[in-house]
Amino acid sequence: MRASQMRTFDGIRLMARRELVERTRRDRSFLISTLVTLAILLAIIFVPKLLGANDPTEFDVGLVGAASQPIGQVLTAQADGAGIRINLQQPASAADAEAAVRDGKLDLAVVDGRELVAKAEPDEQLSLLVQAASRAARAQQTLQSAGVDQAEIQAALAPPPLPVRSLEPVDEDARSKRTIATVAVFLLYGQLIGYCFAVAMGVVEEKSTRVVEVLLAAVRPVQLLAGKIIGVGLVGLIQLAIIGVIGLAVAVASNTITLPPDATGTIGSVLLWFLLGYAFYSSMFAVAGAIVSRQEELQNTATPLNLLMIASFFIAFSSSVSGGDTTLAKVSSFLPPVAPLVMPLRIASGNAAPWEIALSLVIMLVSIVAVVLLAARLYEGAILRTGARVKLSDAWRSGRRQPATGRA
Amino acid sequence: MLELQGLTRRYGDVVALDDLSFTVREGQMFGFVGPNGAGKTTTMRIVLGVLEPDQGEVRWRGRPVDAETRRRFGYMPEERGLYPKMRVRDQLEYFARLHGLSTEDAASAAGYWIERLGVADRAGDRVEQLSLGNQQRVQLAAALVHNPEVLVLDEPFSGLDPVGVDVLAEVLADRAADGIPVIFSSHQLELVERLCEAVAIINRGRLVASGTVEELRASGGERRYQVEVADAPTDWATGLEGVTVLEKHNGRVVLAVEGDEQRVLDAARAAGRVTLFSAVQPSLTQLFRQAVQE
Repeated sequence: MRASQMRTFDGIRLMARRELVERTRRDRSFLISTLVTLAILLAIIFVPKLLGANDPTEFDVGLVGAASQPIGQVLTAQADGAGIRINLQQPASAADAEAAVRDGKLDLAVVDGRELVAKAEPDEQLSLLVQAASRAARAQQTLQSAGVDQAEIQAALAPPPLPVRSLEPVDEDARSKRTIATVAVFLLYGQLIGYCFAVAMGVVEEKSTRVVEVLLAAVRPVQLLAGKIIGVGLVGLIQLAIIGVIGLAVAVASNTITLPPDATGTIGSVLLWFLLGYAFYSSMFAVAGAIVSRQEELQNTATPLNLLMIASFFIAFSSSVSGGDTTLAKVSSFLPPVAPLVMPLRIASGNAAPWEIALSLVIMLVSIVAVVLLAARLYEGAILRTGARVKLSDAWRSGRRQPATGRA
Repeated sequence: MLELQGLTRRYGDVVALDDLSFTVREGQMFGFVGPNGAGKTTTMRIVLGVLEPDQGEVRWRGRPVDAETRRRFGYMPEERGLYPKMRVRDQLEYFARLHGLSTEDAASAAGYWIERLGVADRAGDRVEQLSLGNQQRVQLAAALVHNPEVLVLDEPFSGLDPVGVDVLAEVLADRAADGIPVIFSSHQLELVERLCEAVAIINRGRLVASGTVEELRASGGERRYQVEVADAPTDWATGLEGVTVLEKHNGRVVLAVEGDEQRVLDAARAAGRVTLFSAVQPSLTQLFRQAVQE
């Protein structure tokens, strides 16, 4: 018994190894898809940075006429407090100011203290600042003309900023965490859907080329299924790790994000949830492959699974965009099809409580066992039937009679 | 000895195999023949454990065959199966490893069969780049690469050119000479008759006849004679007891005779001048037709 168990794992190991070698070393598409994914990831990192080269932390504001000057003074002082630099300019006339705004040399022009000129919709933050400055300048003038003491005016109009007392500790890395989590959702989704489909394609390939019959003379269907899933999954995991490490290294080196102290934990949880999601979906995709005989038919049988995955992705993506911990995200992190995409996001954003993670993991593992057992039987029942698409009920019924137990 | 005992297999309402039993001795070349849909492929799949029988069992060297034993069997399915994108040598080594060979043994066995079957110059190519004939050779190599104890080949000769047939026949005879039972199915009955020591004929899932070709001829209970009588009407044999006229042309008749043939000769002499009276060895093709028609 012991010897035959050893053999079982030998068979699985050999088949998994074949998938790994053939897919990574013998097939150029692995290298290509790795590079493409990396390119997309780097684009996500760098494009906002490039677009944000004139990041609105610095504005050019033109002041036309004497009446605009007080606004300018107050504006620089207040903007300074908000961490924004204002370059004040003095166009000779309203016409000059307008031309400069039109050319983009000025972000905004204040004409005679009465009018703001912007090219189109002015920057919201800048507009707020200028409006506030205008109100303050007007108040200052009014108070001055009422003979109020200059020091009193200062005290009234520019009080020291109110100190902030946070009730919960401030997470300095929140933004980086959210970026990592969002990118992780994309990567997870891409890897899951890509490699689960690869499992289905691999199963159909073995079936349509009839190599499955040669294989089944040497190994049992369960071994074949396990070898395929493990091998393809390893390829996906290796690729995910390569992309994740390179992407993170580049993002940190380019100062796009700061590495949070628990970055290893984040990467680890992404890899873990890839494995869980892959274990959940891949065996079902294998069944989608086993019930058809030709690659073209696979699109049909894999569609429900694809839709399930896409829906999960959108739930995860929407909650990553909204940034907050929505009820939808909370609930769906306990639903097995969705959890592999949502849970790592919540973990990375620091929103998931330990008990939630634990519960989600337990639910996930239990449902993986159930799905894999079901899929193994369906796979066994369908893998040798060629011709028309196999009904799941037929596959279920004939799944039992295959020599899964190694009986003679 | 490889024993098939009472194999029965149903697909839904269709009975593919009905209580099929026969035995193949070690070192025997065994032809497995029957019309299309007779159950040959189902039988072979059961022997290899690819299918499970509803009833009956397969025994090898006196013991029921289990998964472990089957790994030492070699199988070439009717619908050829290889990984199209995998390289020839990689593929053969892989199959050898799956059947339990060590890495080194797998490499040397793959090398040997690549050489022996004449595909050495294609060893580094992907299977899909090979001609169909060469793919077939690789398929055969995949069945042989782990030095199996039992060889089961489903239609191994179909699609081969005459040179390929000779190479394959030689390899199989060689394996049988090593004491391995070699079972193969074929519709090329002349080939089966030439190569095989024993055959099994099945029809509609049932065994119709099995044994050596000699035994099949003898077991018919009737013998055939070719008789030519000059200057006599060709219906001289009609109505003789225990005699069936099978063919009639140009004064020559072929008769199936039960019992004593001397009285047939007497009747012929009575009818005219007997110029030919000889026993006819029915070919396997004739035996097959006869067996399947019954």
